[in-house]
Amino acid sequence: MSKPMTVVLGVIGSDCHSVGNTILNVFFTEQGFKVVNLGVMVSQEEYIAAAIETGAEAILVSSLYGHGEIDCAGLREKCIEQGLDDIILYVGGNLVVGKTDYSLVEEKFKKMGYNRVFSPEFPLEDMAELLRQDIRKRRQERENKD
Amino acid sequence: MGDYKLSEQEFNKIRNEVLQTWPTGAEVDFDEAVEYQKAIPENKNFAKVLWKAHKNGVTLLQPRAGVALIKDHIELLQYLESEGEADLLPTTIDAYTRLNKYENAADGVEKSLAAKTSLLNGFPAVNHGVKGCRIVTESLKVPVQIRHGTPDARLLAEISLAGGFTSFEGGGISYNVPYAKKVPIQKSIDDWKYVDRLVGAYEERGISINREPFGPLTGTLVPPCISHVVGIIEGILALRQGVKSLTLGYGQGGNLLQDVVALKALKEVANYYFKKEGFEDYELTTVFHQWMGGFPADEAKAFAVISWGTAAGVMAGADKIIVKTPHEARGIPTKEANAQGIKCSKQVANLLQGQNILLGGRYQEEFDLLKREISDLMDKIYELGDGDIEKGTVAAFEAGTLDVPFAPSIYNNGKILPMRDNEGLIRIYNKGSLALSDEVMEYHKARLEERANYERRKVSFQMVTDDIYAISKGRLIGRTK
Repeated sequence: MSKPMTVVLGVIGSDCHSVGNTILNVFFTEQGFKVVNLGVMVSQEEYIAAAIETGAEAILVSSLYGHGEIDCAGLREKCIEQGLDDIILYVGGNLVVGKTDYSLVEEKFKKMGYNRVFSPEFPLEDMAELLRQDIRKRRQERENKD
Repeated sequence: MGDYKLSEQEFNKIRNEVLQTWPTGAEVDFDEAVEYQKAIPENKNFAKVLWKAHKNGVTLLQPRAGVALIKDHIELLQYLESEGEADLLPTTIDAYTRLNKYENAADGVEKSLAAKTSLLNGFPAVNHGVKGCRIVTESLKVPVQIRHGTPDARLLAEISLAGGFTSFEGGGISYNVPYAKKVPIQKSIDDWKYVDRLVGAYEERGISINREPFGPLTGTLVPPCISHVVGIIEGILALRQGVKSLTLGYGQGGNLLQDVVALKALKEVANYYFKKEGFEDYELTTVFHQWMGGFPADEAKAFAVISWGTAAGVMAGADKIIVKTPHEARGIPTKEANAQGIKCSKQVANLLQGQNILLGGRYQEEFDLLKREISDLMDKIYELGDGDIEKGTVAAFEAGTLDVPFAPSIYNNGKILPMRDNEGLIRIYNKGSLALSDEVMEYHKARLEERANYERRKVSFQMVTDDIYAISKGRLIGRTK
């Protein structure tokens, strides 16, 4: 059996929406990931500290209350500062205030350094599969470097 | 019956500190506030109006509403009173005040003035002070309640009660576990002891102030036994501090049988535990919350959910129903949409008023099951607390024998998972460390197996997810596509 895939999970900023977080926690655990769930109201520093401590391969960021753009900006840069250059960053939820075309939202968050951006309707099984693929790819790239 | 009352000395010591946490605290003069409250007519006193409705078997309707500025807030409430026909009014408090961030709230008031619209999601009562609160309560004909979600509401209670509000929602568990991440249970229980003692002090001076623990908790598939136990605990803690007018709440589940059973059992079981704790002199009423989970975005569909909630609440014999609006799926409603929600509810409530519902079939079976579940949970709390409910509650959360589903608090175990059975009743799929007996859990499992067989899939977490989104997608139960 290969090494378990560790991911850090949490709702960013001052957001206390805990229902979806619970769903994701149970879902990814059932899918065989080792989930480090930080719960709600998580700061960028807390995600990074948890990722370093657990050797996580991905950080999964949720935001539902509309302030996602402010809360999520700068996380990639902080990761790089802390030596987590190639960590996988996912973000999903209701990321901006009001209804906006999701492709615009996706573009905006990809520019911020997030590898993948998910709408609330995105099927969880598909997300888990993408996550497995991305982690395998990252492991391969790291091996190639060595 | 031990003496749990916060001593006058201790209370005054805390009061001196609390009133200094924001300049408007200086406006509070308790003796003057008592005289002010005494002059408020009975038909504007929340406790009295609610008790009268209870005795007459009438169900009252109350919306949620609050904006940043005094003038706009009054306009909104007056509209809900006249056009919306609200029996009782709210003042919903903004998110900054709930976190005691009065500076941010002050900034929100400034920015709202400049923007000529509310940039806060509620009324910052602390910032507006005693004077501002009085302008609001004096502008209305019906009683007004403070509704919020504040773990430490001591200053808010001092200012709003001196400001003429006659009811105060919340409690040490129900305004912590679903609303905060890092507030220890003992801390919020202690802070709410202060609020209840303040209400008790008003009662001792002849002023009735209504207290309402927040029944629905996270509003997401909460099994009735869990919210009932929290309500009973907060009720006992309030009575210990001298509260007399108590309203216990329950959030609609969606299955009519379960909802009627739940509200009827809540009254019976609460009275049992209150008497067991030595209390006789109190007025217990109930509140039923229309569906607290995700709503359909389509307004016609939303009205159907609102109507169904009203029907269930009236049939269950609730003294009060908290109503939703057709804008629920989109966030904060306009005043027009808010009034529509009340009017729709009133029409249904009027049609049903006085009708007797014959409840046969499995009514008694479900009633007995719920009582059994509550007694399982309560027994464990008394056991962990060596007979004391407060000590037992803190220990029960720590051990996870009491556990609220989907709550953000790190002091909540968060292991229990609920889901609907084949008729839509909320059952428990994973009990975590919840202190429910094997016999009870076997029943829950059997009911869930029934659904799984019907849907030709295994009982799984996917069902929980499907159930959470089901009503917003037009169904009660999250069936496979």
